[in-house]
Parts: sequence; C-alpha cells; structure tokens
Amino acid sequence: MHLVPFSYNLRSLFVRRSSTLLTIVGIGATVAVLSGVLSLQQGFKTLFTSSGREDVAVFLRPGSTNEGDSVFTLEGTEILIKSLPEFALDERGRPLAAAERYLAVRRQKLDGGETNVPIRGVQPMSYAVHAELLELVDGRWPAPGADEVIAGSALTGRIVNTAIGDVITLNTTPFRVVGEMRSEGPFNSELWGDAERIGVALERPLYNRVVGILREGASVAELARRLEDDKRVPAKVVSELDYLSGQTEALSIVLLFLGSFLASIMGVAAVFTGTNTMLASISARSHEIGIMRAMGFRPFPVFLAFLSEALLLGLLGGAVGIAMALPLNGVKTGTTNFQTFTEVAFAFKLTPTVLATAVTFAVVLGLLGGAWPAWRAARMRPAEALRRG
Amino acid sequence: MPWLLLFRNLFAHPVRSLLTLGSIVVAVFLICFLRAMVGALEAGVEASSQRRLIVQSAVSLFVNLPTSYQTKIEAVPGVDSSMKMQWFGGYYQDPSNFFAQFGVDAERLLRAYPEIEIVEGSALDFEARRSSCIIGEQLAADFGWSVGDSIPMVGALYPRADGSTWNFEVAGIYRALSNNVDDRTMWFHFEYLERSLETGGALGPGGVGVFVLHLAPGADATGVMARVDALFENGPQRVQTTTESEFQRQFVTMLGSVPTLLSSIGGGVLFAIALATFNTMLMASRERTHSIGILKALGFTHRTAFALLMGESLLLCGLGGAIGVAVALAIDGPVRGFLMSYGFTAFEVAPSTAALGLGLALSVGLLAGLAPAIGAARLRVVEALRFEG
Repeated sequence: MHLVPFSYNLRSLFVRRSSTLLTIVGIGATVAVLSGVLSLQQGFKTLFTSSGREDVAVFLRPGSTNEGDSVFTLEGTEILIKSLPEFALDERGRPLAAAERYLAVRRQKLDGGETNVPIRGVQPMSYAVHAELLELVDGRWPAPGADEVIAGSALTGRIVNTAIGDVITLNTTPFRVVGEMRSEGPFNSELWGDAERIGVALERPLYNRVVGILREGASVAELARRLEDDKRVPAKVVSELDYLSGQTEALSIVLLFLGSFLASIMGVAAVFTGTNTMLASISARSHEIGIMRAMGFRPFPVFLAFLSEALLLGLLGGAVGIAMALPLNGVKTGTTNFQTFTEVAFAFKLTPTVLATAVTFAVVLGLLGGAWPAWRAARMRPAEALRRG
Repeated sequence: MPWLLLFRNLFAHPVRSLLTLGSIVVAVFLICFLRAMVGALEAGVEASSQRRLIVQSAVSLFVNLPTSYQTKIEAVPGVDSSMKMQWFGGYYQDPSNFFAQFGVDAERLLRAYPEIEIVEGSALDFEARRSSCIIGEQLAADFGWSVGDSIPMVGALYPRADGSTWNFEVAGIYRALSNNVDDRTMWFHFEYLERSLETGGALGPGGVGVFVLHLAPGADATGVMARVDALFENGPQRVQTTTESEFQRQFVTMLGSVPTLLSSIGGGVLFAIALATFNTMLMASRERTHSIGILKALGFTHRTAFALLMGESLLLCGLGGAIGVAVALAIDGPVRGFLMSYGFTAFEVAPSTAALGLGLALSVGLLAGLAPAIGAARLRVVEALRFEG
C-alpha cells in the first residue's frame, strides 16, 4: 500500500494559508481558554500541596475540616504537646510541636477594597516545626511576648500596612511589622505573631490547632486512630500534606467544572470550523484527488492523508493556543480559599499536565473536524472527481 | 434584490452553512450564559436596599459582636430600628442539603425586610412561638415541608449539648419580592438560640454576627455609619457599618477575578467564532466569483453584487444569533433552579443580554461579509469569468 507523501498535505495547507490560519487561530483560542482555566487550578493546587509534609501531623477538633473551625483549650494543647511520644525532639529534648491560633482578619488592599487575611498566632516552637517551609527575607522574626508580626511576602505590596516598620491594628491593639518572610505554600499570604499576644488582642481565648513533627517511624494513621476517641483530648489527626490538599478540593472542583464546560462548548464550535475548512479544501482539490486515485492510490491512504492534514491543523492550533496562554504563566492572582474564607495569592502555572491536556484536546478537535471530510475524500470516484472542478 | 438567489447561495453548501450556523449558535449561547452568570454573582449587591445598613465586627468575619450593642446602636440619631441576625450554619440530615438559616429578632424581621411576604401560615404565629421558623417557598417545595411541620436541624456551628437535633416548627412560608433575599432561607428566633447557649443546652460562639439597621426617614446614611462606628472606636469590639450592598459585595469580591475571568472568556469565544465566520464567508465568496461575473455580465449592478454577499453573511449570523439566544432563554429556568440551591438567586438571561447576543452576532456578520462583498462589488466581469475557482 502506497501512502500519499506528507509533503503534499503540508504544501496544500500553505497554499490555502488564510483559511489555514483562521482555523488554527480558532482552535488556538479554544485551547487557550482551557489552558488558562486549568493553569489557574494547577497554580492554586500547587500552592497548597507543594509545601505540605508527610511527617508533620496536624491536630484539629473532631469534625472540623480546617483550622478556622477547629478549637482547643490551652490545657488541651499542652496535654497533646507534652504527652504524645510520637513527636520528634529538638536538641534540648523538647517536643517539636506547637499550638497555633488562626483567624481571618479584615484588611484593606492597597488597590482599594477589603479582603480577609489569615493571621496566625504562633508559639516559639512553631518556627522550628515549620523551619523547612520558611525563609526570612528581610528584618527579623517577631520576639516572643511582643506586639510584633511578620508578613508573608505575598502580602507586602498588596495589603495596606504590611511593610517592615508599619503598624497594623488588631481590634484596638497596635502591632509593629518587624519582618518579611517567604514560603512556597499558603504561609506566604499570612501574618504571624506571638500566639498569646494575638489571642489577647483578638479576644480569642481558644487555640485552633496543634501541629508537630513526628519522630522517625511514628505514623499519622496510628495517631489518628488512637486520638479519635481519646477521653482527655479527642482530636482529628491528618498529615500536613493531606490537610493542605483538602483545602483545595472545593475550588479545584469548581475550576475543573468551569474549564471542561467551556472547553467542550467552545470545542464544538472549533470542530465545526475545522470540518468547514477541511471540506472546502477537499472540494477545491477534487481534481487532484481524482488524479491521485487514478494514479493508483487506494482510498485508505487518501483518507489517512487528509486525516493527517486535519491532525496537523489541530497540532498547530494547540501550539498557537499554548502560545496564547503562555504569557499567563507566573502571573500573580488572588482568590479566596472557601474553606477558611481567606484570600491567598498564587500564580497561574502551565504545568506539564496542563500542556499535555491542551495538546491532546487540540489533536482531538483536529481529528473530529477532519474525519468526515477525509472519509468523503477517500470515497470520491476517480472518474467523477476528475470531471469536477 | 434577488432574494431567491441569496437563499440558493446559502443552501449551495448546506453542510458548510449549517456548521457555520452551529458555531454562531454555540458562541451566542455561551456569551449569553456567561453574562447571566456574572449577573447572578452580582445580583445580591444590586438589589440591596440603600435604606438598610449592616453593622459587623471591624476585626473579622468570624468575630461576633456583644448583643448589648443593640440598645446603644438604637440610640444613635438617624437609626429607626435594628435587628440581630446570626448565621446558624446547620444542615438538614446531610451537609450537602445546603440552605441558609438565620437567627433574627422575629418580631422585627418583616419590618427590616419588607421584601419578605408571608404567603402561607402567619407572621403573628411566628412571632408568638419561640421555637418556630419561617421558610422560603422554594425551600418548602424542595423538601416538601409545609406549615405545622417540625424540621430537625443538625447544628454544625451550634451543636446541642446532648447531641440531639434542633427542631424548628414551620409557622409560615414566605415569598421573596426581590433578589437580595432568596426563597431558600430559614428564619428563626435568635432568642431561642441565645437561651439555649445560656442554659447550656447548646454550645457555640456567643454574641451576634451582625445588626441590620433601618434608617429613619430622611436620615443620612453616611452620617449614621460614621456615628455608629465612632461609638465603639475604643472597643471592646470595633465595628464596621456599611450599606447592605457593600456588605453583600464583600462576598462577591471574595471570588476575586472570577467575574472578570468569565467576561474575558466571553471575549475569547467571540474572537474565535468571528474568525470561523470570516473563514466561511471567504470560502463562499471565492466560489461565487465566477457566478457573480455572470450576474454582472447580465446587467446586475455592483450594488446587487455587494448586497448578495453581505446579505448571505448577515442572514447566517442573524439566524445563528437568534437560535443561540433562544437556547439560552430555554435553559434559563432550569439553570436558575440549579444555582438557587447554591444560594445564587438571580441567574437570568435578561432582555439586554439577549439583545447583546443578537447584536454581536449581527456585527460579526457585518464584518465577515464586508471584505467579500466589497470584493464582489469591485469585481471586473472579464476577470471574474476567467476565474475558475
């Protein structure tokens, strides 16, 4: 079986370049919308999942899904921290675990409007527990017991009064901003300060969660089983990684739904356009197809030739779409984490998954648009085709 | 104007015309849908009353105000009356049965919200019995509840001490006369909640989420807001008084860039479809070159040649636009019902949206038809007849 040389299809795409270009851009726009929405979802998800650790355990009140809902008394947190043998110890033999307060506070944005910024009251040991995720960019860490906070670097430049030296007021108590910290994860959008002082300023007597590093060999699952029905301090225990992935579920579902809804509707239109282009290009080439068939090319190679032309259209459309979406990569945006009603800043991420989905989608669009016209071309009878056009 | 010829041309390539029509239908539908969606997200803000103010904590969405604030606020000049309102955050049987429940000063509800009209049962009955509630028409229909039923609610935010459910008797069913109140809300006595917390029958945060203020006739909203805020400037809890629409807006702005994103996707769709239509019209005009030459040789004017191609493009796009709008209008009802269960009250393909969709379709038709039509008008007979395209 002789195949039609691919250069034939390449040349014909080039000859009808205005038509080809319009089709490619049409498919490209569809692919760009899909990639845009997906890269938003990926950016949000990466923010939460890239920083979580498997060996860090998060303790919440049974039944709560996030630290905003969860509460512990001070005594409860002390019992957990001091009594659990699973925690790793620091060089002075103290458990690497801390209790934290968490509240979404109203803050003004620099470009106007209000948003909910998470503030985390931490104990001195929190910095050791999260050491791997934190990096001091400028200034210093807040001193224990002082009315001081450090701001995540996603806040500076976005939220009023979060630069070093500024004073922010929590209810009626002024706190001085003494440093800027950076983190790959959601901590990057948080304010941190001394747990005691923040509890007093915000009139929050209760703590929200306990978090600690487990020693080697200790298992989160085993801890979870034991504490579930604990008499003194019942708690829900999850790994930090699971906790953070859980925070992204609701928004991820919404974005994935939106992305696939838009892509499938726009895809229908793109397939229609693709079919149109291929039909026109084939009917203009009836004569040539007749010659090919008369020369002895079988229907199947003719079908393949035109299908691969459509495939190429799809691939080119995919490339154009990705090129259109590429400037989005790394663009910073903010959205609300609807589990805690706090705003987090993150960037669009065109991950390999997004790129692969986009290319696959473009190829499918091309093939769907090309299948019927190619089949029609293959079924042309040589004598008739030669007589036409 | 040779109408018959125009229609003949349109049906010369039925498949191509249908596919183009299809893409226009899809595009117009999507644009109408996205615009209605953005409208639904912002409807609560627009429908809000300017005569109602909301007092909430200036610190955080999650911090309640002392109930003792109410008498102080009512003493502020310009305030006609006030009502406590607390988010209950419970669910019926399963957390996925989502609807809003608010504890309010029952005897003041209908005065604060004249948009609520009791259609079954009685307001007096609701005011008289502390464990009763009123529910929206849609909510009653969704769960088959009627006046006299007792609804067992799980208090997620306010669990009962003995682990049982809360029971609210339906005293009335209401209809919402405006979009800022939805038909799926349950209103009950704040006093019932407060007493249960005081007696230890239930657990949960004390105080009240917001106060709804009704302005006295002629009172200046800005002045009242400033006076109420000043009242608690030095604590114990600072407050933030806004108009109801500003209050609603804080929840919309949490969506961040989603409304903008939806609008820009609409733009992308339009762009892709415009390209597809240009493509079709270019193909059509290329094929018509020969026949237009014949028409001109027969004595038809340049103007007729222009009208023939422009008419074809406009007809195709106009028809596509009309069908797209019709489809959008057809799904309007079911989508509204679906979104209502998630708390969005006002998904509506408004007449302005329908007009916009149709207008955009016709503009695309005009633009796509322009180049081919001008080409046809300028075509010289000799050249056209020589052309074999």
